Amino acid sequence: MTPDRWQQVSRIFKSAIDLDGEARAAYVAGQCGADDSLRAEVDKLLDSHRQANAADFMNGMAVEYAASMFGDNEPKSQSRTLTKGQQFGSYVILDSLGAGGMGEVYLAQDSRLDRTVALKVLSNDISLDKRRMQRFRQEAKVASSLNQPNILTVFEFGEVNGLTFIATEFVDGETLRTHLHGKKGKLAAILDITIQVLSALDAAHEARIVHRDIKPENVMIRRRDGVVKVLDFGLAKFSEKKPSTMKLEESEAATAVKTAPGIIMGTINYMSPEQAQAGDIDERTDIWSTGVMIYEMVTGKMPFSGATTSHTIVQILEKDPPPLSKLAQVPDELERIVRKAMAKSPDERYQTAKDMLIDLRALRKRLDVEAEIGRTSSPTTPVAAVVTDETDQRQPRAKVLVIALIGMALVTAAIFGVNIWRSSRARISAPVTTAVPNVDRTLTYWITVQKFKGKRPYQDPFTLAGEINFEANYQIRVNVRTPQGGHLYILNEGPASAEPEFVVLFPSSTANGGSSSLAASQTLQIPEQSWFKFNAEQGVEKLWLVFSEEPLPEFEGIREFANPQGLITDPSRNKAVRNFLDTYSAAKPEVEKGDKLTTLRTQGKLLVYPIRLEHH
Amino acid sequence: MTRIPRQHEITQLLAEWREGNQSALDELYPLVYAELHRLARRYMSRERQGHTLQTTALINEAYVRLVDQKNVQWANRSHFFAISAQIMRRILIDHARRHAYAKRGGGAQQVSLEEAAAVTPEHSLELIRLDEALKSLAERDPRRSQVVELRYFGGLNNEEIAGVLHVSENTVTRDWNMARAWLYQQLTGSGAN
Repeated sequence: MTPDRWQQVSRIFKSAIDLDGEARAAYVAGQCGADDSLRAEVDKLLDSHRQANAADFMNGMAVEYAASMFGDNEPKSQSRTLTKGQQFGSYVILDSLGAGGMGEVYLAQDSRLDRTVALKVLSNDISLDKRRMQRFRQEAKVASSLNQPNILTVFEFGEVNGLTFIATEFVDGETLRTHLHGKKGKLAAILDITIQVLSALDAAHEARIVHRDIKPENVMIRRRDGVVKVLDFGLAKFSEKKPSTMKLEESEAATAVKTAPGIIMGTINYMSPEQAQAGDIDERTDIWSTGVMIYEMVTGKMPFSGATTSHTIVQILEKDPPPLSKLAQVPDELERIVRKAMAKSPDERYQTAKDMLIDLRALRKRLDVEAEIGRTSSPTTPVAAVVTDETDQRQPRAKVLVIALIGMALVTAAIFGVNIWRSSRARISAPVTTAVPNVDRTLTYWITVQKFKGKRPYQDPFTLAGEINFEANYQIRVNVRTPQGGHLYILNEGPASAEPEFVVLFPSSTANGGSSSLAASQTLQIPEQSWFKFNAEQGVEKLWLVFSEEPLPEFEGIREFANPQGLITDPSRNKAVRNFLDTYSAAKPEVEKGDKLTTLRTQGKLLVYPIRLEHH
Repeated sequence: MTRIPRQHEITQLLAEWREGNQSALDELYPLVYAELHRLARRYMSRERQGHTLQTTALINEAYVRLVDQKNVQWANRSHFFAISAQIMRRILIDHARRHAYAKRGGGAQQVSLEEAAAVTPEHSLELIRLDEALKSLAERDPRRSQVVELRYFGGLNNEEIAGVLHVSENTVTRDWNMARAWLYQQLTGSGAN
């Protein structure tokens, strides 16, 4: 905007703001005359003014807004209830993680189970507040009844020295709100996140639990691997078969929209029409909110955001937001999915999280295939062609063309078979783990190797697909990527001597928080911090990978039968493991070796495979 | 030679600055910064124990402590508030930067639970973005950006701001409306430029 234009806009704005409705419109129209862009500029600013009012934008003062972060940066502050190193019940406080409305959060070590947890300690005044206490207890109860990798695991709810606390899984990451930061996301990432949120909801809904407060603030993304965790079941309700009415006033989200002075807008924007009308609420309300979240991730804007709470409610009830395609470049299929999720009538929406999940997974698979073909058939085609990114927005036409080309490539490939690939270019080494039909279990692994000189790392670590002859001074890490969720167990079988010995490498307390349960698209590094070392015994080590759709009773809790190093010392357990591995490794998975990665595929719900590591 | 007491020193510097001596401001700045920073920290921890926080009260306290009350005019006071608003902005933004850095990659772990995660780091990021938007507003419209600084960071009311800027209260209100709408547009990404 030029200085002149700025002056013009502000002059009109200044007077228009004192006028209402039609008078304002007439004034603006009169002042702008035929200058449409001036008018657009003024209207936009007037609209922002309205929204800023509604959102209580900058209504407080900066210093209030910043208060929480000041406190957070001062661990020595007197107001902390617990201090570093302090024993709290069976927990040892490791660090302070911050504070929020409900109380303080600490990083703590559970000395009984040797795992790291997040410990939320309720502040005293909240302990006395019955309603909030109820919410706290509710959150613990509901979440702990759900055991799913995308739902934050609650370990314990209790009281020590009169302080109420909740111990949960510790997630190092950021909320989806922070992650988005008012920007558009990439399509692939959006699908990944949404699929995981829906997997969580699917599990909750199976247990007849409705979350009721799905929003970016309640979705946490783990930094290490992008695994999504749904938080805050504090408002969740058990869904009645004949749904009883859950009135609006019950929902704290509805009433507590504008609590803190500041910029962030409240929860009202994610409410379903039936929620906003205080109608009956069931699982389909979560479907709606998920749709709203996708919309926001794709466009960078909330679909319903009015001047005031009641304006927003009117929009939710009556208005259809602009189609995604107006604001971003998206596949038609995603448009259809979002529209269906955000149907005003619950009966027209996806009826279950599972149905929506199926459509989104299919879409992701299709995009993977398209991207793969784009990559293979034409080396110059950008991989990101089917991915929406705000930086791409300047050349929509070029992109349409690229997509059309991919479409043609698909057709051609279908006609001529895969031969077309061979003629153009060698197949790329990265495995297409999700694009292969009729495969029930897939897992990709690679090995990171670090040379050591004495106790010191020597040279940079390198990656390989496995199976080389390892030197004695090599130390390794195993990396696993699972396109599907499931349960993973890794055992090391030492060089065959008289009696095979097994060491449980995973699950362990040093990776994945001690759990065997993996989410879809999770990448694991085992161990997370240190390395595996070969002992002096020469020969072939086997690393048994066991990846199952269901938790395996043979391996869950097997560490109880092992010594602290993970060696299974109980003879009958040892034998049971031997039998299991012999039986199930008979069905050999299909092995695809790349330069850096190996991908395993098998039919059925169970994949068992030994990585052979020879060392001397 | 006897050292001039600090109160006198600051009062003197304020007077010089008001009379147009810019180097007086350079000397004034670190003195006020230190005092405000100290008070802000103390106020923050008090806030955390359930007291409400008022920027004006904070700056007032700094004013009373730093400036010799017997030798002062109202104009000095409003100048003090103007510079304090600027300094408060710096203190808060510096802090937000450190905070955001620590949360991002500075080695500090981020929190798994919703309150801690949702409240703190986002506030610091929002403040940093607001500060940047305010800088670009200052380029095209210095007065409006100053109104925002005085009100949002300095905690001054419209009457006080009118006094500092020598304009009418009505103008302050209008400036505020316009500036705030524009900032909102920038922060929510609905603005084109």
